Amino acid sequence: MRSLLRPFLIALLLLAAIVAPIGQGNYITYVLTSWLIFSIASMGLNLTLGYAGQISLAQASFMAIGAYTTALLTLAGWHWMAALVPALLLCFVIGLVLGYPALRVKGHFLAFVTLAFNTLVFLVLRNEDWLTGGNYGLVGMPRPDFGFFSTMKQHNFYYFTLAITIVAAAIMWWIVRSPWGRAFKALRENPIRAESLGVDTRRITLLAFAIGSAYGGLAGALVTPLVQFIEPGSFAVAHSFRILLMVVVGGAGFFFGPFLGAGVVILLPEMLRFTEGYYLIIYAALVILMLVFTPKGLIGVWDLLRNRLFGKAQIRADVKQEPTLK
Amino acid sequence: MNRKILLALSTALLMGVSSVQAQDVAKIAMVAELSGAGAPAGTNWRDGIKIAIEEINADGGILGKQVELPEYDTQTDPQVSRAMVQKAIDDGAFAILGTIYSGSTLVNMLVAQQSEIPQFVGSEAPTIVQKGNPFVFRTSSGAQKGVPALVPYFTDTLKAQKVGIAWVNNEFGKGGRDVFAAEMEKIGIEVIADVPSEQGATDYASDVAKLKDSGADAVFVYMNQEEAARFLIEAKKQGLSMPLVGEVTLTEAKVIELAGGAAENAIAHVGVTATATEIPGIAEFNEKFVAQFKRNPTHDAIKGYIGAWATKYVTEKVGEFDGAKFADAMKNLCLPVAEYPRMLLDTCWDETGEMSRPSFMVQVKDGAPVVIGTVPAN
Repeated sequence: MRSLLRPFLIALLLLAAIVAPIGQGNYITYVLTSWLIFSIASMGLNLTLGYAGQISLAQASFMAIGAYTTALLTLAGWHWMAALVPALLLCFVIGLVLGYPALRVKGHFLAFVTLAFNTLVFLVLRNEDWLTGGNYGLVGMPRPDFGFFSTMKQHNFYYFTLAITIVAAAIMWWIVRSPWGRAFKALRENPIRAESLGVDTRRITLLAFAIGSAYGGLAGALVTPLVQFIEPGSFAVAHSFRILLMVVVGGAGFFFGPFLGAGVVILLPEMLRFTEGYYLIIYAALVILMLVFTPKGLIGVWDLLRNRLFGKAQIRADVKQEPTLK
Repeated sequence: MNRKILLALSTALLMGVSSVQAQDVAKIAMVAELSGAGAPAGTNWRDGIKIAIEEINADGGILGKQVELPEYDTQTDPQVSRAMVQKAIDDGAFAILGTIYSGSTLVNMLVAQQSEIPQFVGSEAPTIVQKGNPFVFRTSSGAQKGVPALVPYFTDTLKAQKVGIAWVNNEFGKGGRDVFAAEMEKIGIEVIADVPSEQGATDYASDVAKLKDSGADAVFVYMNQEEAARFLIEAKKQGLSMPLVGEVTLTEAKVIELAGGAAENAIAHVGVTATATEIPGIAEFNEKFVAQFKRNPTHDAIKGYIGAWATKYVTEKVGEFDGAKFADAMKNLCLPVAEYPRMLLDTCWDETGEMSRPSFMVQVKDGAPVVIGTVPAN
């Protein structure tokens, strides 16, 4: 039963994602596309934070690197698909180069190092006018055209992004279930035990960080054709915090957490707009409430409800049992 | 199945209702920075527009239709602003008023252009009218026109030989700084200190110290409202003695309110100011605004007001709600105040959407901006 439930739910979610923009105006479709893009970015951070347990505040800067690389290449006449390859590679390599020294420190210190990196990228983008357009940013990037399928229309672009998101999610699904993924989890749960079992923790953490960065780059590469305008301000530190919020609100370490989290951060304020002047206040209050009551993120609500309604699965009454692997 | 039918029915009903409404009212969308760093500018823009729309509706609306003014908050975020302009167009707006921050306008004007929706913006970055977008129109002169108007003040009144520039490093500040530096080079005044600062910065101690030591005869201050106020406070603290001259923002009501006594003697060239009460239209607007909102209007409020009235005047000139014809009519259009009293001053647009009209030199005296001179339209 349980084995059937999961594919059924995934199929349902996919169907919902396909149907969602039908009959909607450009605005809703635009917001939904942003949701998918930020889901990809937070999926990457989820790998670093949720699976490998490292707090990174540089995800927006990797989005920036991905976005500017694709922007410059597509403006130079490259096809978006061709520009994507160097963009992802660059993010992966920069992730490795940054991660190598940065991952010598952990927790708060790593957060500070990555925060500094994010600010550095912001300053480079703003001050190197000759390459990045400085404050004025880059404008007029073309959307990908596949001959039979042009993404100029908002709806088409949404489906294009959806397809990319599905591929990215499938790869992530594979990663967290591969030997690497299991090593990530082992590392998060108990680094000393992982190391004593022969897991090269340093290499594995570095890999998680670099793959997470490449996901950030992919999200950035999609922002370029979506907005068709990029400027350094869109990738400032505040946006790294936003992505971190998505991962935490959704549920760090859960596969579907980033989708939920990005949904809350992107879609909720838009849904609350009818309250006009109050919408940001209500949104902030709701986020605080969520974090107070479901510190494991929204995905944790399901566990909470199941335990309440059906009682906790307890193998031995005398031993307190907590789920250790998610 | 029932649910589907119900959904279809209710959708059809809703669409029916909105189409009935659409026949009675015309929608002008107000897209502005109502939260975030741009809120001081955005809320004034909104309130100025509100007064204009009340007057327009009392006057019979536009082409006999009452005007509705839905509000869209961009959170001072360019990407959100793009979504909001998209939403406004989806909601059936025939014209858009906003945004003010140039970074936002540069993004969202592409959307309005694609849908051929005329858009009046409060942005002053030079690039906005240089992109060949026929649907974007300014409500004040861009920095490339406003800043050069300041030059005679530096050469003739201040007789400056060396100047410093303190500017906020965003697209607004950079635009103004570049134009000013180029103008100074042209007339042979040396820029002796060039001090950029961050948007949202709170500590201007080192910036002011640098300017103080530079030996400049005057300082050109080009920042957004909150930053300008903080800069003025620090300048007063360190006793910066040279004249502080700005463009538009430096002597604004919001800056004076935030900076208090520190704003005393600051000088600025402003496109339009609520303190120019010798102009009857501005005096009347000022009174109305203070009565309704219990505070002084800033230039953004007047810009919004003018944008809303220009939308009415030009739409009625065209005779129908048609974006493309509106854009054609705006080319090289002049609206003299004798015929169009709510424009407040004689106003012209060129073929790019750039605006020109007479402007003012203003100085803060006893906590209030006072007009110390006028500059003819250029």
